[in-house]
Amino acid sequence: MDFTPIKLALTALRAQKTRSVLTILGMSIGIAVVITIMAAGKGLDHMVMGQLDAFSPNTVTVEVKIPSTKKTSSDNAMGMATGITITTLKEKDLDTLRKHPNIAAAYGFVTGQAIVKYQNEAKTSLLFGEGYNLQEVEKFEIASGRMFTKDEEESLAQVAVLGSKMYELLFGEENAVGKTVYIKGKPFRVIGVAKSRGAMMGMDMDKMVLLPAKTMQKRVLGIDYYQELIAKVKDRTIIKQTVADLETAVRENHDITDPNKDDFAVNTMEEAATMLSSIINGLTLLLVALVCVSLLVGGVGIMNIMYVSVTERTFEIGLRKALGAKSRDILKQFLAEAIIITVAGGIFGIISGAAFALAIYFIAVSYGYDWAYAVPISSIILAISFSAAVGLIFGLYPAKKAAAFDPMVALRKE
Amino acid sequence: MALIEVKNLEKEYVNEAIVTHVLYNLNFKIDKGEFVAIMGPSGSGKSTLMHILGFLDKASGGQFIFNGRDVSTLHDDELAEMRSSQVGFVFQSFNLLPRTTVLENVILPLVYTSTPARKREELATTALNSVGLSHRLNFLPNQLSGGEKQRVAIARALVNDPAVIFADEPTGNLDSKSGLQVMQILQELNADGHTIILVTHEKYTAEHAKRILRIKDGEIISDELVANRQFATGAKELIK
Ligand SMILES: Nc1ncnc2c1ncn2[C@@H]1O[C@H](COP(=O)(O)OP(=O)(O)OP(=O)(O)O)[C@@H](O)[C@H]1O
Ligand SMILES: [Mg+2]
Repeated sequence: MDFTPIKLALTALRAQKTRSVLTILGMSIGIAVVITIMAAGKGLDHMVMGQLDAFSPNTVTVEVKIPSTKKTSSDNAMGMATGITITTLKEKDLDTLRKHPNIAAAYGFVTGQAIVKYQNEAKTSLLFGEGYNLQEVEKFEIASGRMFTKDEEESLAQVAVLGSKMYELLFGEENAVGKTVYIKGKPFRVIGVAKSRGAMMGMDMDKMVLLPAKTMQKRVLGIDYYQELIAKVKDRTIIKQTVADLETAVRENHDITDPNKDDFAVNTMEEAATMLSSIINGLTLLLVALVCVSLLVGGVGIMNIMYVSVTERTFEIGLRKALGAKSRDILKQFLAEAIIITVAGGIFGIISGAAFALAIYFIAVSYGYDWAYAVPISSIILAISFSAAVGLIFGLYPAKKAAAFDPMVALRKE
Repeated sequence: MALIEVKNLEKEYVNEAIVTHVLYNLNFKIDKGEFVAIMGPSGSGKSTLMHILGFLDKASGGQFIFNGRDVSTLHDDELAEMRSSQVGFVFQSFNLLPRTTVLENVILPLVYTSTPARKREELATTALNSVGLSHRLNFLPNQLSGGEKQRVAIARALVNDPAVIFADEPTGNLDSKSGLQVMQILQELNADGHTIILVTHEKYTAEHAKRILRIKDGEIISDELVANRQFATGAKELIK
């Protein structure tokens, strides 16, 4: 292989140090911006998606509500803050939900706090009484052991599934499955440990203890009502109708005629989810626009420098031709210059883009966001094809122009 | 066989609709080893003629035969090949590449030949040595005096051992002492067997050649050997 064009290009680039450095800089900034933006987009996406899991758009909830107000249970910490407890949401309502043709699965939910003991360890824990079919409605994964069964819930079995942090607090490294913990003095057999779920709506889901809802009602709290019913719809498109149906049915169950006196509220995550996803779409659009603008600015800058360089270097090109360079030699030299600039800009751009993305990751994590560090392959491919295209288009055009110079005309031009 | 043979050579420049007729019906021969001065007033067409003879420009009519080859039949790449292997140029305004070292400037004509990379530097150093500039290899053009620049240009013109060296007003931008040094180098190169074609409008400078071709308004008005040849001896010693 003949390295002469590369050597010539290097010599020429060195002779125009400032211009070369600026071009490489322009190129790498363009590429770095693309990579940074796309990586940040991925990180943001990861964070928002994590939140969105909590906003399952297929979920319908029936919450207790103080009549004639807008306060639902989740607005006032399950009704406890006001001192008023609504006790009307019962098994019958859950059955009503389950019978609705658009409901895939539903379960009842109660919550409370209690001290959980294992041998010498005692921890105050959030207790979640949930249905055996929790996993049919939402994402809930077991790390070891198993979830409780329908029979266990119906028979008020004293079994518990521990949140991952609660397990660590009580058992450390020890295996928990099969062991007995005491809740309010009553023995509960640990049958499973949940996978980490992180925080959801401000609550650390890993520090809770999960009990069968009915066991919790009867054996722990001594009540017969639920605080919330949670259901999953089959067809999201008719969710509005489903909500209306459920409102009518539950109202009937509760002997209410005036909707203003409702002691419950049927809600969907639809609105929140719609809002979140429109924010995500907006953000994605913004990122795409930013990427386009930075590509455009970078590209125009590089084209400008390359183009000016040919005009400025008329004399050099004329001289080289006068000294025996063929058009092909000039073409090769200018292409080699474009390639060197492109490759150098590409390498610097990718490295600094990845570094910026990492910096953003650390900043986001230090603020406690559930960020992800990912430099998407697509961003590197985009950056590489961008720089290759810029190098080719903005390199080839001036190179062709340069190669076509008549040596005499070029030399005479002062 | 003459090295250069010109028959009924014509040159006209066509810029848009304007036709400028510059050279009319030129006829002459130049043999290998000659030292010819092309002399004439400004605008008479000296540079134009030199550019045609140096394969930089094409005649509009007539024939230019170089070493038996009709140059008008050559393609651009073949002309580049001729420039690369057969001729060396020294220009009035030096025409060195700025921000590029003396050595790299002299290497320039060699990169377009098949000379191996290792050999290029050696040849360039030898050429620079012969013009007394071996101590300036890594200088940049703007660190040199006018005379030194022109000697770099001469080194560049002879580095590929061309059949003909063209010098267009090589002393035009120099003081008389530096001009003499340049003329001495050209005379020495001629003495070593190089064919030299010098373009000048000064009688004194032209008299350093062996033969003077006078042109006026694009036509040859005389073609004669120099009776009282000037020798630029001793000038070169000053530079060592
Ligand atoms: N590209 C061109 N287009 C049109 N006319 C040109 C062109 N180049 C040169 N000429 C004309 O050709 C004539 C001869 O020019 P040339 O440069 O050969 O003269 P010269 O003898 O070298 O003059 P000088 O001693 O001033 O260098 C001039 O009248 C000039 O205007
Ligand atoms: Mg001239």
